[in-house]
Amino acid sequence: MKLTSPYKWGMVIDLDRCTGCGACVVACQAENNVAICDEKEIAEGRSMHWLRIERFWVGEYPEVRARFLPVLCQQCGDAPCEPVCPVYASYHNPDGLNGQVYNRCVGTRYCGNNCPYAVRVFNFYPHRWPEPLDNQLSPDVSVRPRGVMEKCTFCIQRIRRAKEDAKADGRQIRDGEVRPACAQTCPSEALVFGNLADPQSRAARLARSPRRFRLLEGLGTHPSVYYLKGGGRENV
Amino acid sequence: MSEKPVVKSAEQLNDEMLSSLRAPTWRWYLLAFFLGVVVAFGLYAFTHQMLTGMYVTGLSRPVMWGFYIINFVFWVGLSHSGTMVSSILRLSQANWRRPILRAAEAMTVFTITVAGLFPLIHLGRNWIFYYLIPYPNQRGLWPNFRSALLWDMTAIVTYIIGSSLFLYLGMLPDLAVARDRSRGWRRKLYGVLAMGWRGTAREWTVFHQASTLMAALIIPVAVSVHSIVAWDFAVTVVPGWHSTIFPPYFVIGAILSGVAAVITLMIIIRKAFHLEAYLTPMHFDNMGKLLLVISLLWTYAYFVEVQTTWYAHEPIEWEVFSFMAGKYTPALLLMLFGNSLLPIAALCFRRLRRSIGVMLVVSLLINVGMFIERFLIIVPSLSHKNMPFVWGTYRPSWVEISVTAAAFAGFALLYTLFAKCFPMVAVTDVRELEVRETEVTMGRADLPSIAGKD
Amino acid sequence: METLGIFEDLETSVRAVDRLIGEGFAEEEITSLSSVPYPDGVIVRTDRRTWFRWLTLVCAAVGAGAGFLLGAGTAWLYPVQTGDKPIVAYFPVGIITFEITMLFALVGTIVGMFIEMKLPPWGERPYDPAIAEGCIGICVTAPSAERKNRAEQIMTETGALRITAGGRP
Repeated sequence: MKLTSPYKWGMVIDLDRCTGCGACVVACQAENNVAICDEKEIAEGRSMHWLRIERFWVGEYPEVRARFLPVLCQQCGDAPCEPVCPVYASYHNPDGLNGQVYNRCVGTRYCGNNCPYAVRVFNFYPHRWPEPLDNQLSPDVSVRPRGVMEKCTFCIQRIRRAKEDAKADGRQIRDGEVRPACAQTCPSEALVFGNLADPQSRAARLARSPRRFRLLEGLGTHPSVYYLKGGGRENV
Repeated sequence: MSEKPVVKSAEQLNDEMLSSLRAPTWRWYLLAFFLGVVVAFGLYAFTHQMLTGMYVTGLSRPVMWGFYIINFVFWVGLSHSGTMVSSILRLSQANWRRPILRAAEAMTVFTITVAGLFPLIHLGRNWIFYYLIPYPNQRGLWPNFRSALLWDMTAIVTYIIGSSLFLYLGMLPDLAVARDRSRGWRRKLYGVLAMGWRGTAREWTVFHQASTLMAALIIPVAVSVHSIVAWDFAVTVVPGWHSTIFPPYFVIGAILSGVAAVITLMIIIRKAFHLEAYLTPMHFDNMGKLLLVISLLWTYAYFVEVQTTWYAHEPIEWEVFSFMAGKYTPALLLMLFGNSLLPIAALCFRRLRRSIGVMLVVSLLINVGMFIERFLIIVPSLSHKNMPFVWGTYRPSWVEISVTAAAFAGFALLYTLFAKCFPMVAVTDVRELEVRETEVTMGRADLPSIAGKD
Repeated sequence: METLGIFEDLETSVRAVDRLIGEGFAEEEITSLSSVPYPDGVIVRTDRRTWFRWLTLVCAAVGAGAGFLLGAGTAWLYPVQTGDKPIVAYFPVGIITFEITMLFALVGTIVGMFIEMKLPPWGERPYDPAIAEGCIGICVTAPSAERKNRAEQIMTETGALRITAGGRP
């Protein structure tokens, strides 16, 4: 895959720091105009969370343990969701992100089926923000109509804003200048976002850690999200 | 030339085979009305879905494809009936094909039409379906031909046009016969469609060569159409879908369901239009033999697929298969019974093949089994994908069931209308055989023989 | 000038053809009209060569080009990176090319067939609806009015039910 941009955005999630508090999920919902779903919708399997904390209970009382993992769009280098979209609504942008074009999406849901991480969500319901909740909608992010697929974008609106600022100053985006809502909110700084193409960036240095693993690597999707856990993935 | 027991004149043959073209009776109107009601209700359900949202279906994450895609694959499979039966029997010059051709070819056209509607029905934003059509526009946008769905669209358009032309071609001499026997608006309709056919020797020569060529051309198209539909699943990374056997397996399944559906239709037409003299137990015997072979092939393909999954025991694939076998055990058993056990057991016996009742049951059960097979391919794999936290289930809602019922009713309605307006049996083809049938004295016996090359 | 004689069955029509050929009419000037095809030579012999299959081939070639343009050309015109796949990819382009080739070949066969049959016809040609009920028509293309009358005479003598010059199918 050709790198035609100086940026290759990636995220490192340090599971030794993650407490499973879920603040990132809330922050993402607030920043990206993610729909408000009630209990009925979620029970039907139609939740709209772009970022989910996968939580499994292991063992019998009293030796019960929670295993948890924040899962978001892995922004795969070889994304299975991209070639299957018949209208190019899902495509690969030069920064290494998987872009989703809402107004092009016709809703075949092929991308949702082909995503092995099941991070893509579909607007089954026409979601509403009853007043005055509509005041909280971010003007930088579209509000998606029903029938459209959506997913985590690494807060591309913040990346765009940072690129504009950097261009105005005639420089590149500095490390740490752009942080998606989840990374910004995490109280233990478990989520680190940065330019993996810059070997000196914090994210790139963390991504070289011996504790690293990626999800479903055997599928060859080349995800841009690295997880860190002492003792490896079995110790999560 | 010695006398055969019953010699019918050409006029009598025409009368009997074209009996369906007579003015419709109250029973026909009642049937059309009933089918129309079911179609109308399905249209209402679809409109409701389009106006309110996809939440009225049973779909969710992760099972984002359900009954609509099951229907799509099922109906594309049924559309292999005409091409396979008609083309293969034409090319192999099997004489018993003659009364069957028209029913089979018409079935192909109407089933692929119904199938082509489902990709439009299942879209989340159906009203902008035209984004899928490649046409030059001022935004400079084109659709993505790397997507299997675009291959679907291309293949289905080709197949609809090809099979319609194939049906029309086969009907051409019969339309001329119908034209000469009718009055009024029917005469005008048949006159236009018959394109001035007179039946000169030269016209017949060109016609035969064109029929053979069309039959030869349409077979690769049919194989490619269902392979492309199979690739919708096989080119993904979904466990249980990513299998190289899918294209041949789907094609075999399509031929199985198509041939079974032709047999079902033949039985219905035979009863409805009093064609007992033309669709004889001999025809069902031969179709039964064909069905037996295809059923054996399907059993082989299914066995191969399960065996490799079981032996390699790849965790995710095995999980999907054992989930399917566990949760949907009754459906799985019914499918195996309907597609393999019953056909292979019953169709080995000549007496059973020649029994109309047995053939009806066998053919209907095959199609029930094939519908279940599509369900068991699509839903369990999506239910248990790679990330266990988002495993889910699927149950069809009233909207999806109504649309499915409307699809069946719509097909039946189209077929009923077609049978009323167009010759349901290949009249000239059947009469050609009667004309060439002769008796030859060989040694001490008088043997029936068919004069001339096929 | 065409003239059509309607005969009740195969034997009488064949007798008429034998008489016509005996009187010097060429095999090419005589053709049979029937609602079922008889094997070649039973009533008349025709030239069995046809050219419309070349049109099928030409249309298939045009279709291959059109399919390639559709699959590869549109991707080249509107290049969007998806996955690790090249913009112009072998298998998709191959599949689309195949389908459009077959589509054009199928349409070309039908169009070529009609052109070779010279259907739909320009003017009126002799026809009789009795042909659909099993009668056989013998149509003679005569160069002059005199030969036409002679043909009509022969056909009447050999048992034609009627002679017609019009009737338009």
